[in-house]
Amino acid sequence: MPPHIHPEGTTLRDPSKLFHQTDYIRRLIIASYWVIIILAIPLWWQTTSIERLSLPTSRVHAQAENKLRFPVHIKLESVQDASLPSALRHLLQDRIRRSPQAWKGLDVRVREVRDGQDVDAVEPADSYTIKADDGIPLVSQRQLTYPVRGGTLPILADALASLLVPPIDAHRVAQYSPRYRLAFTLLNEDAAAGKSISGWDISGAISRHLSPILSGLSVLHNFTIESQVQFHAPLAFSPTRLDKGYGLTPEDLTVFVNSAEWSLSSSVSNDPVLHFIVFIPSASRRPLQILDAHGLPSSSDAFLLPQWGGIVIYNPPPELDAHVQLPSSALNAVFSAFANQLLALLGVPGLPREMRTDASVLTGWQLDALLRRRALENAEGAQDTLESIVKLVDQIENMPVGQDVRGDVQDALTALDKMYASASASLNETLRQSADALTLASRAFFNPGMLALLYFPAEHNFAVYTPLFASAMIPLIAAAIREVSVWRKQRREAAQALE
Amino acid sequence: MLLSIPHLILLLFSWSWGIHAASPSHEEIVGDFFNKNGHAGSTSNHTNNWAVLVCASRYWFNYRHMANALGMYRTVKRLGIPDSNIILMLADDAACNARNKFPGSVYANPGRGLDLYGDNIEVDYRGYEVTVENFIRVLTGRMEPSVPRSKRLLTDARSNVFVYMTGHGGNEFLKFQDNEEISAFDIADAFEQMWQKRRYNEIFFMIDTCQANTMYSKFYSPNILATGSSKMDQNSYSYENDNDIGVAVIDRYTHYVLEYMERINKTSHETMRDLFDSYDRDKIGSDPGVRADLFPRPLDEVRITDFFGGVAQVEVQPPCVAEDVSLPGDFSSEGDVSLSNDSSSEDQQSAQSPVHAGGKAAGAWGQSTDRGSDGWRGTRAWGGILLLAALVGWAGWGK
Repeated sequence: MPPHIHPEGTTLRDPSKLFHQTDYIRRLIIASYWVIIILAIPLWWQTTSIERLSLPTSRVHAQAENKLRFPVHIKLESVQDASLPSALRHLLQDRIRRSPQAWKGLDVRVREVRDGQDVDAVEPADSYTIKADDGIPLVSQRQLTYPVRGGTLPILADALASLLVPPIDAHRVAQYSPRYRLAFTLLNEDAAAGKSISGWDISGAISRHLSPILSGLSVLHNFTIESQVQFHAPLAFSPTRLDKGYGLTPEDLTVFVNSAEWSLSSSVSNDPVLHFIVFIPSASRRPLQILDAHGLPSSSDAFLLPQWGGIVIYNPPPELDAHVQLPSSALNAVFSAFANQLLALLGVPGLPREMRTDASVLTGWQLDALLRRRALENAEGAQDTLESIVKLVDQIENMPVGQDVRGDVQDALTALDKMYASASASLNETLRQSADALTLASRAFFNPGMLALLYFPAEHNFAVYTPLFASAMIPLIAAAIREVSVWRKQRREAAQALE
Repeated sequence: MLLSIPHLILLLFSWSWGIHAASPSHEEIVGDFFNKNGHAGSTSNHTNNWAVLVCASRYWFNYRHMANALGMYRTVKRLGIPDSNIILMLADDAACNARNKFPGSVYANPGRGLDLYGDNIEVDYRGYEVTVENFIRVLTGRMEPSVPRSKRLLTDARSNVFVYMTGHGGNEFLKFQDNEEISAFDIADAFEQMWQKRRYNEIFFMIDTCQANTMYSKFYSPNILATGSSKMDQNSYSYENDNDIGVAVIDRYTHYVLEYMERINKTSHETMRDLFDSYDRDKIGSDPGVRADLFPRPLDEVRITDFFGGVAQVEVQPPCVAEDVSLPGDFSSEGDVSLSNDSSSEDQQSAQSPVHAGGKAAGAWGQSTDRGSDGWRGTRAWGGILLLAALVGWAGWGK
């Protein structure tokens, strides 16, 4: 019996005679798979590769070698003794040698001017003048009136040092930002206990006490101001009971701000905030005083939290009525304390103790010293940031670098170049360029697109891709190999048949 | 059948490679940092504290992870870190879960004594926002400009950052909400990026998950102190069930850490050494680890409040009786009474003293240098290709 039964009239067909089993068609089908795969490879490559544009690495490294230098010209006017300028020069050189770190970036030149006649013909733009005159030392805009004599010269050199490179407490000064938010808060510990302060003339106080400072510093920072009054702001601890009133120990001060329950500033922007708080103790806890390390009440009523802000404690006098505005005398005291704190937080240097000033807000000496320091900081920060971008991109292989990152890096480098170019001409311009460079470099660093792909170990990749691709690829490869071997066999046979 | 056998072999191979693949890729960088920054003897001079608390799990049966994170949140807040400085990432589906018999509450102890959810919780990343990407973005600061302040880690070079993570993890990874995972390399790279941009002064990293100690083994940036709940191939266990809630309410390690923290207040002088000494292997049920080789200060001089507290220092200012706008003559040191928590003489001592803890720990957790790792990786890749080729050949000519 035959294995298969066919209807009458039909015959078995040879499979190799089927149209899709002809050698040509079959090979075409297999080849078409391969053509598609090969054509798809560039697409796959394109879509899975990370865009890593090259960064101007050599420019960044070259820029990092640059150091900002400010020329400082000091003119000595109406000096009797001709040897004094060179003596002062020597004294200053000596001080620069002793603390090169403090004088970093300054090229100090001392020149002599006689009867209005400049010894040097060239007149630099911003130069400082020292006028020899008896009496108490007086600091004006960019001028110092000082009894210049052989004996006072070392003291003068010290005074110049503290005017040009004032010592600064880096721990206290807030980090540079082109914009700051100042948040003023009047806190009643517990208005329900009676005799609270219900309001204050904040806008008047700001325009009287702070506006001159703020406009003086407008070259450096842009300020936004917000204020609020709160009527219930409990402390997180109980102050120490004293014979008369209550006291805050030094440790209490460190935990004074009850951030869990006081809401001190709005969160409308990402600018750094400096807080200024007037704290009115509850009527049952007055007077509240700050204790010194020995537990004795100190006369001070204000303290400062480094980089955060300042706090003033105000104890209303007992005769004050309930729920009144903050009296104007108190407002003045509070705001002069705030002004002090603001200047301290922004790093504005003070004048040497023994000097008086006739300037209303800031002298040119102070502002220049601050500008120089901030510009140096910014330049350093921008260079560091650029270098770390280059380093990280180099180190983390799957970190993308897009067009905007490269653009920001280039712009930051350009700003740095402009900054160096303007260092000898204009301090304001130098600071502006340095701030631009820092902002751009930071923006490049914080670019949201720079997020590296997650790390996957090689074995994860194998485990994920092998089941996916091997099942498709192995039959294709096997078919291709079989087809090639068949074709070669056919060719060999054809060659033998010819012989 | 023909196809499934090679698969099986391949998978077996890749699995066995995985076992041997504990090859750190950053040894040289680590070495660099040891030479440059290691043991510089700096003291903590931070001015602000930040906390990033991550609960990487979701769903009701991971109630305890939510409780871990909320317990830590309560503690850092109690010790003085303001809400604006706490980034809390929480799936947050426990308190209002339909299965929660006590709606709106999360308890961390079987007696249900303390409601951790309370009335003053600020969850910054909630539900599906808790992703690996968002976590890395928080750390590195790489955010879209539109992201609000409350979701950002606005730290600077004077910030001490406390990073706490909890969830389900394994060897060098932590799972995020059952659909992705973060590896130890990713966190190490993120910390390095923070260091490069001076986004921290010091970091204290704490993690409670299975095989937690592997998560900090890849760190290579300086000034990081790390601790975890269990060593490699070891599970971390839950502490206790509450019969009314019906699930475990907290993990053991976090429970004992929090229990210890309850004794701390804002002005406490206890040190990290005290915290680590309080670890009790028998109670926790696993081996908690500490890695201090990247951390320059001796642990017995590092106060717990350096990371969990608020402000370290204040300056009392001299009385000011100015009536008019006048420039204060002097801000310099004389008038100010510095009331630092760490007295400066103490600082100097620690600056000069040799680093005991760091030195000792370096032996335990230090550079497991595997110089040939790159070569080994290459060999592995070629091996895979050869294996594939062999299989293809076998399939092609086998008939």
